Amino acid sequence: MSTATATIYSVEVPQPKQHGKPGGIMRRLNFFTGLAGGVILAAVFGFLMNIQFAPGAQTADFASASAGPTFWAIMVGWVLGFMGGMGAFVGPIRWVMGRDLTHADAEFMAGKDQGKFRYWRFTTDHKVVGIQYLIMAMVILGFGGLLAMLIRTELGVTWAEVFNPDFYNSLVGTHGIAMIIAMIIVVSGPVGNFIIPLMCGARDMAFPRLNALSIWLLVCAVPPLILSLLVGGIRDGWSVYQPLNSQAGPGMIGYQTTIIVFAVSTAIASVNIMTTILTMRAKGMTWSRTPISIYGVFAAAAMGLYAFPFYQYSQILSMTDRLINTSFFDPVEGGSVWLYENLFWLLGHPEVYVILIPSTAIILELIPVFMRKPLFSYYMAIAGIVGVVGLSGLVWAHHMYMTGWAPQANYPFMLSTEMISIPVGFLVLVIIGTMWRGTFWSRLPMMAVFAVVFNKMIGGVTGIYLSDVPADQYFHGSMFVTAHFHYMLMGVALFGAMGGVAYYFPKWTGRYLDERMGSIGFWLAFIGFQITFGSMFVAGLQGQPRRVLQFDNLFNISNWISTIGAYTIGIAMLIFLGAIISSWRHGEMAPSNPWQAQTLDWQTATPVPLDNFPVLPVVKGLPYDYGVPDPLAPEKVEARLREEYEKAGTP
Amino acid sequence: MADTMTPTPGSGEQPEEPTNRPPALHRLRDWLQRRYVRHVLIITVVIGFILLPLCWLIVAAMNQTGAPASVVMEDIEQTVFVFTLVSIPITAFVFAVLVYSLFGWKGKSGDTPPNEDNPAIRNNLVAVITWSVVTSALAAFLVVWGLMELASITNNSFGTQPANGQVKQEDVLVVNVTGQQWVWTFEYPQYDKYQSDVLYLAKDRPVLFNVTSKDVVHNFWAVELGVKIDANPGAVTQTGVTPNKEGIFNVRCAELCGLHHAYMETQIRVMEPDTFNSWMRENGGGKTS
Repeated sequence: MSTATATIYSVEVPQPKQHGKPGGIMRRLNFFTGLAGGVILAAVFGFLMNIQFAPGAQTADFASASAGPTFWAIMVGWVLGFMGGMGAFVGPIRWVMGRDLTHADAEFMAGKDQGKFRYWRFTTDHKVVGIQYLIMAMVILGFGGLLAMLIRTELGVTWAEVFNPDFYNSLVGTHGIAMIIAMIIVVSGPVGNFIIPLMCGARDMAFPRLNALSIWLLVCAVPPLILSLLVGGIRDGWSVYQPLNSQAGPGMIGYQTTIIVFAVSTAIASVNIMTTILTMRAKGMTWSRTPISIYGVFAAAAMGLYAFPFYQYSQILSMTDRLINTSFFDPVEGGSVWLYENLFWLLGHPEVYVILIPSTAIILELIPVFMRKPLFSYYMAIAGIVGVVGLSGLVWAHHMYMTGWAPQANYPFMLSTEMISIPVGFLVLVIIGTMWRGTFWSRLPMMAVFAVVFNKMIGGVTGIYLSDVPADQYFHGSMFVTAHFHYMLMGVALFGAMGGVAYYFPKWTGRYLDERMGSIGFWLAFIGFQITFGSMFVAGLQGQPRRVLQFDNLFNISNWISTIGAYTIGIAMLIFLGAIISSWRHGEMAPSNPWQAQTLDWQTATPVPLDNFPVLPVVKGLPYDYGVPDPLAPEKVEARLREEYEKAGTP
Repeated sequence: MADTMTPTPGSGEQPEEPTNRPPALHRLRDWLQRRYVRHVLIITVVIGFILLPLCWLIVAAMNQTGAPASVVMEDIEQTVFVFTLVSIPITAFVFAVLVYSLFGWKGKSGDTPPNEDNPAIRNNLVAVITWSVVTSALAAFLVVWGLMELASITNNSFGTQPANGQVKQEDVLVVNVTGQQWVWTFEYPQYDKYQSDVLYLAKDRPVLFNVTSKDVVHNFWAVELGVKIDANPGAVTQTGVTPNKEGIFNVRCAELCGLHHAYMETQIRVMEPDTFNSWMRENGGGKTS
């Protein structure tokens, strides 16, 4: 239709007509216009809805949520305004108008020649998105960590109530969901977006604009969560069981908005990551030559894709229960609380592996590099990941052993849950097998391996108790559960992520993470972690329920110890954060492949050029080709033994 | 020599005759004679013995307020004990590898990898099979143990059985437990619907709980009796127990139920049957069964 063409990798590609400067209106849109748009539209929507449903104008059975519709309108206004102000709708609108993006427009949106400000824009470059995810994860972790400190303060001060119960409950709930969101993105975000395309040998993600959409939807989802603290908060734990949920104030609408938007963001990111991995791996990178962390991130994306819709449904149904008097979960009207619990845990358990598997995969990825040995039994590692993914969808009701929903179902769910220890055991074997008989290169990422395996054993063994119905009859809903999942989600996933940050830091920033300060922070956090959650196990064994702010004197000592440990973690995390910030600004410059690793992500320049690779790479084998031929290989041992055996005088 | 043992492709050389192959035991013995293997195994045993007291310590922590006060709780504690015991060997082995990696094989720091001469061990079929078989066997043992204990507990607590058949036994004490924000109410239908906020039970007399809630989901947790079941609004869940120890025990709510969840706890008083009956006569009136 037009004569204009652009030369893309020495191919002439016909282009639509260029309207104005490259980028068009996107030149004027950024995070700050998004913020302004969100706030303005939220105010307008809230004002209009307030005229329609003035507080007190509702019917009697609507009274407890009289502020509901207004808050809901504010949330809708915020989401639409923020995403509109960011420029999320520009692409589709231009497409409808027949003014599709030209190559110059696309290059503008990828942030070409825009300096640092591209991090504040709707930028499609996967490297920018990866860094944005990293920053977002750290912001949410910091927020959740602050809440954790407040919770531990309350529990450490056993002689008084520091906060009123209402605020304490919202601390617990907000800490829970903030940490869950942060942990879901902390590896899959920065590694999945920044590293995985490089590792695949691709020039970008499969859907760059969806990539930008996923991060900005996440950014959009966080303010409602944080601001909900101001309007009553999330007082019902992160699981917000019904019908308690429906008693909560309008802060619950903030939670529901966060989840609904975050689920969309996750689905988009999952599809994007999966498509990239499936279709854009370099030539020669067959499934048996694909690095293990690609398997890990793929598994997480796949689980997220089927798990999050359940969560979204549960929150949409909760919202309609609240706003338009449906009764999906209201037993008085014929709804079922078990329906909510099922929908929630259909997300809830796969979600745990969405957090755990990428972290474990990063550990598996970096351990051959620092052991200078091939990954032990690569196929077993794949089997472990596949096994966990396969079982993850079949175990949700172990969170419901004690709900009375279906006591007969406890038998099969106990079976499937305990089966999970087998594939997880495979992953442990791969790690200790790679350690076997090798000296290690003593750097911070390798230290994370030791910490993670230690925590994984403790978290795994205590998980076996909880998977067992009789033992769970004592432990369910006690502090033992809290300690157990902190061992998995923090001890394995967060410490693994910290190792991953140390490992990929040179690729992300071009600088080394300050080894000394980082190690101090890391190991102090590890010690504080053992103190906090070790004594929390004791409190759980003694019978302290979860989510209480006052308790018997019996539990005092273990809670005091726990609080001391928690403060240690807090200080340690600040040190680690300090190491990240100072290294980012003026750390030691790193070469493009500081660890001398063989995966493709390290084979490109640092900082990574806009299109990643000057020439797309071709893969010839597994990227774990380290070490020298083994003098004690089984066949050689057998040969020696046979000689001895023959010498010994057998016929 | 060693190099010739790898048959070159196309050489057509037959693998070794079976008679010349050293028995597996010899290979095992040879493996066990390696220094690092012995060290790892010794460390495993040491760590195992260090962890062993946990079996008792864990149960001791659970027993601090007078548990076990029922057969169900005894089953639970036995399960925890056995699970700890079974987990120790494998945990100890993994920890031993970590310890030996840190202090035996050791690491070196530096800007370039100092350990390029590590052996390239890509796989070891024997190790993989051994590990898979051992962990699967342990998991299978835990599952079987868990299923049997669950059946036993279900049997001891009326579990999934419809209560009708059970209550015909004159002996069974029925208690209707109602949770509401933030108190527990116990109703004794056999004693003129006597209501109490303290749970009175008779020693050695089976009790059936019909648990429900007036508002949100609570969780009825009789800690030392090992009873735990959700109190759901709009539904009745059943469980039961036979207390076998006199004393004062705790009921706690184990499901977040709003503002004063932390204070939703009360006492259980388990009495001699005679004391119980006279107590009920004085307070609740009605027939004694």
